[in-house]
Amino acid sequence: MAAKPGSAPTTYSPSLTQKTRPPIFKGNDLDWVRPDGRGFHQCRPAFFRTGAVNSASGSAYAEFGNTKVIVSVFGPRESKKAMMYSDIGRLNCNVSYTTFATPVRGQGSDHKEFSSMLHKALEGAIMLETFPKTTVDVFALVLESGGSDLPVVISCASLALADAGIMMYDLVAAVSVSCLGKNLVIDPILEEESYQDGSLMLTCMPSRYEVTQLIFTGEWSTPDINEAMQLCLDACGKLGKVMRSCLKEATSASQE
Amino acid sequence: MGLPNASGDLSTEVEVDAFRRLFPLRFYEKHLSESIRPDARPLGRARDTTIALGAVASANGSALAKIGSTTMLAAIKMEVMTPSTETPDEGCVAIDFHMPPICSPIVRPGRPAEAAPVVSKQLSDTILSSGMISLKELCLVSGKAAWMAYLDIYCLDADGALFDTALLSAVAAFSHLEIPVVSLNDDGKIVLLSEEQEGMSEREPVNREKRKLTLCSIPFSLTCILHKNYILADPTAEEESIMETLVTIVLDSSSQLVSLYKPGGPVLAYTSAIQDCIAITRQRVKELQKILEEAISVMEVD
Repeated sequence: MAAKPGSAPTTYSPSLTQKTRPPIFKGNDLDWVRPDGRGFHQCRPAFFRTGAVNSASGSAYAEFGNTKVIVSVFGPRESKKAMMYSDIGRLNCNVSYTTFATPVRGQGSDHKEFSSMLHKALEGAIMLETFPKTTVDVFALVLESGGSDLPVVISCASLALADAGIMMYDLVAAVSVSCLGKNLVIDPILEEESYQDGSLMLTCMPSRYEVTQLIFTGEWSTPDINEAMQLCLDACGKLGKVMRSCLKEATSASQE
Repeated sequence: MGLPNASGDLSTEVEVDAFRRLFPLRFYEKHLSESIRPDARPLGRARDTTIALGAVASANGSALAKIGSTTMLAAIKMEVMTPSTETPDEGCVAIDFHMPPICSPIVRPGRPAEAAPVVSKQLSDTILSSGMISLKELCLVSGKAAWMAYLDIYCLDADGALFDTALLSAVAAFSHLEIPVVSLNDDGKIVLLSEEQEGMSEREPVNREKRKLTLCSIPFSLTCILHKNYILADPTAEEESIMETLVTIVLDSSSQLVSLYKPGGPVLAYTSAIQDCIAITRQRVKELQKILEEAISVMEVD
């Protein structure tokens, strides 16, 4: 055995640290271009595929640039025996990262709150009364983290729920916006997120135009808030159309 | 399940499904007596196997391997460590196998799967004892710095033959691995040489160019199920749960035996059964070598 049992040698990653690099834009510079060349109000191209995992009742894989996520849905299945009787269904969510998802190994454990945030985003859209006494489990694994992880997880999870046949009021689409100085950039990548002054994540049901979850962090002025929310709602509408076309393709492919 | 029609096809489908659930062993034995399995495979054939290299862009080496529905994603990240005093010019490899809750309905977030630490230890033992990697190649500065390769394998879909797929993905990830160019800076720490710095740096890079590990005697494996006097190669999860006697044989590229693993089970393995398993494994090793070479050549063309 190469490693001595019982001793884990301390290791460090040879990549450059963040602190020594200058920020990607200086002050109120309005001419700067985003690192991947997108416009400020342009989202990354979205790729969805349902039926990624055969062992699950429903599953989906989503790829937005470098952010890659797999979500599996199991259920409705029997609740744990310790749970009290409930005449509506239960939703159980869990989000975890692979050790190689982040540039430096092992940083994914910083996001333990994502599981409950995913729960809050989805519970408004699912018809819990259609599966009383049982639980639907939604498990997400982030394979690679390239920024805007939680919105991609939420969108992918609602596709997986649709693939599993769980009844919902509408698909759930999520988008996040970062405030960098005076600029609002939509769908930020990891680099942009690390320099942001504030962020907004909006989760909505596009066809019903209803918001299921709204999370603001950092400093925002009121006109910025209104502009950011409108940006997000428009982007969610477009994302909803992409998700719907993915589901249609999947069903037409299986009917052939 | 199709739509019901007048000829009652749905009810026969339901009957077959019910028979499969209520009497799984008899269902399988009816098939085995005709030398076929429910998914139309002959007894000695493995499922379709594919390998895709470079699945994870942020890792130094990665591979996605699929045998039938069983999917494994392996990725290697390199970090720097100080080598021990007994082996100052050897690096280290840390192998970890994870079964996240997405892969199977039996895995829960709080409770790790029973199979995960077993496969993890098996993989670790097999890879390190097969001599595929020479740890001396992982040395940077003798006595001061060496590479620690963290190999993490995630099961994305568990449908039987977990060890085979995990070993295949690990081997493919090592063949894709490119060791980055680094240099020693003034604090005695190793830092990555990015492309802009290469011309400006006064320091000599510790290793000249991104290089690959030389892999000798690559191990490949096949799991077989023994049931009465049948030998089924490459079981699915359903087959593994019904017929519990598994034999895993690991051979290297020159057909030498690396490991033989038979963890209990109701069927005893006589010499003739083991020899038959080894013969099937030998053919499978040739198939897997071809698949791996094709995957590597596809990457090189790109």
